Amino acid sequence: MSSHREAPEISKDPVADSSDLYAFVSPDDPDTVTIIANYVPLQLPASGPNFFEFGDDVLYEIHIDSNGDARPDLTYQFRFRTELRNNNTFLYNTGQIKSLDDPNWNRRQFYSVTKVDAHGKSTVLAAKLPCPPCNVGKISIPHYESLAADAVKKLKTGEKVFAGQRADAFFVDLGAIFDLGTLRPFQNKHLVGKTLFNYAGKAVNATDKLNVHSIAIQVPLSTVRRGGKKAVRGRDPGAVIGVWTSASRRQVQVRQGDKKNTDVEVGPQVQVSRLGNPLVNEVIVPMAQKDLFNSLPPSDDKRFAGFVEKPELAGLLPVLYPGLFDNLAKLVKAGTPRADLVAILLTGIPDGLIDNFQNTTGSTKADMLRLNTAIPPAKDPKAFGLLAGDLAGFPNGRRIEDDVVSISIRAIAGVTFALVDETFKPDAAAGLVEQGLSIKNVSSGLLKKFPFLGTPFDGFDNP
Amino acid sequence: MSRVRYGSRAVNRLSRRRVLAIAATAGVGVSVAGVTGLSLAGETSAKDDGQPLVISLRDASKGTFDIFSGGSKTTLTDKKLAARLLKAVKR
Repeated sequence: MSSHREAPEISKDPVADSSDLYAFVSPDDPDTVTIIANYVPLQLPASGPNFFEFGDDVLYEIHIDSNGDARPDLTYQFRFRTELRNNNTFLYNTGQIKSLDDPNWNRRQFYSVTKVDAHGKSTVLAAKLPCPPCNVGKISIPHYESLAADAVKKLKTGEKVFAGQRADAFFVDLGAIFDLGTLRPFQNKHLVGKTLFNYAGKAVNATDKLNVHSIAIQVPLSTVRRGGKKAVRGRDPGAVIGVWTSASRRQVQVRQGDKKNTDVEVGPQVQVSRLGNPLVNEVIVPMAQKDLFNSLPPSDDKRFAGFVEKPELAGLLPVLYPGLFDNLAKLVKAGTPRADLVAILLTGIPDGLIDNFQNTTGSTKADMLRLNTAIPPAKDPKAFGLLAGDLAGFPNGRRIEDDVVSISIRAIAGVTFALVDETFKPDAAAGLVEQGLSIKNVSSGLLKKFPFLGTPFDGFDNP
Repeated sequence: MSRVRYGSRAVNRLSRRRVLAIAATAGVGVSVAGVTGLSLAGETSAKDDGQPLVISLRDASKGTFDIFSGGSKTTLTDKKLAARLLKAVKR
């Protein structure tokens, strides 16, 4: 998955587990960037009586680097607080919920938004914004869409925010991929699969009909760009921003048992989850270092660069699909560092490799989602993003509909290595390989405006 | 007593705080002042003397303590205090 349960420790702490990060120039307001950080992954819609929520004891952050040093120049912090209306019921709602302040809604969650500048100065932008309820079912919440829309708030400083449950729009054939790297459309070409199948299979979206909790913010481009520029040229280094999200917990927690309200949480925040580009910690970083990766800032990512230069998966593809990746096998055998993957994942793509495009942030190697903010939203977005000539798509930021799994597999398989070595001829299979899914396999669909992710699946119809 | 400051609070303010109980083990120690929980993660007042302190004896042989308060961690070294605590818990 993109980053659902991607490391041993955070897989046991779903409330703090970042699962996906999106950053794109907003199609509904092209003078802004939309950033969405998903947490609490893999939610079954029918989850009463204790429906999913953010952690009151977790600090959620979205960081933006505007000068390429892999350190935040702007951070938005989100802190949550849960309130009970009625201490004498076991119910989430004691009747229908028709508004965000409906007295029938027993367990509500609120959040604050704090802006931290490059000098560490904090400003609380909003103190008590409401999250929408979880989508219990149409009996409890007859008009969920309008209720959720009411939870979109515009701040006085220009940002638009939303925090709450959404349908997970990430699409991945998880069951097949982690069953020895099987891609169902190519299952009959797989080392083991060819002994079981004589036909191409149809991919299954393992994350369909599951929900997540999303923190979404839409920020004016002039707020995130270096120097506060309202307009920049695509070649201007100041056009590119780096984005990542993190979750942290207090270093010390003391539980008091029955005296629950006296539990103690003190000490510095300790980062437990981090996400920039999809699949980096999941597929690139070895299991023994995944928890370490989650604890460190992007500015320390030089230590992981070796795994990007020589990704394990590049060596596995020729073995798992015999005869399809012979050129890749030679490249791996030669031990040539994958400068293409370093550019895509750690430094950004410099000017000159792709016509009219760059999203480099300089030489600092750091896992950040890099977005050239001068590139407007595509009128006809392509699922394969940059690989399909769509400059507004991954790895230029990441849109919800981008097929980041297939893009990443093709890149690792060698299609992008030709960008840095003209003598390299990618295998034919490298340009064809895909997981066999698209945004059409996400049952919820997407919204046409902020926060874009679809209405969460409800518990009544998705038991 | 040596001091290392990570946060904004100095260790010599320790005596003014409500440290209600201290326990220690040879490797890891815990002490708790049971006052109030936090209203929002990370949003605490540095001026509130009523907030809890947690003290951890990180290295008993060197007498290294970590003191957690609010959003800060302060480290101090006090071998005598470590010895007294170990004696108190019969270690």
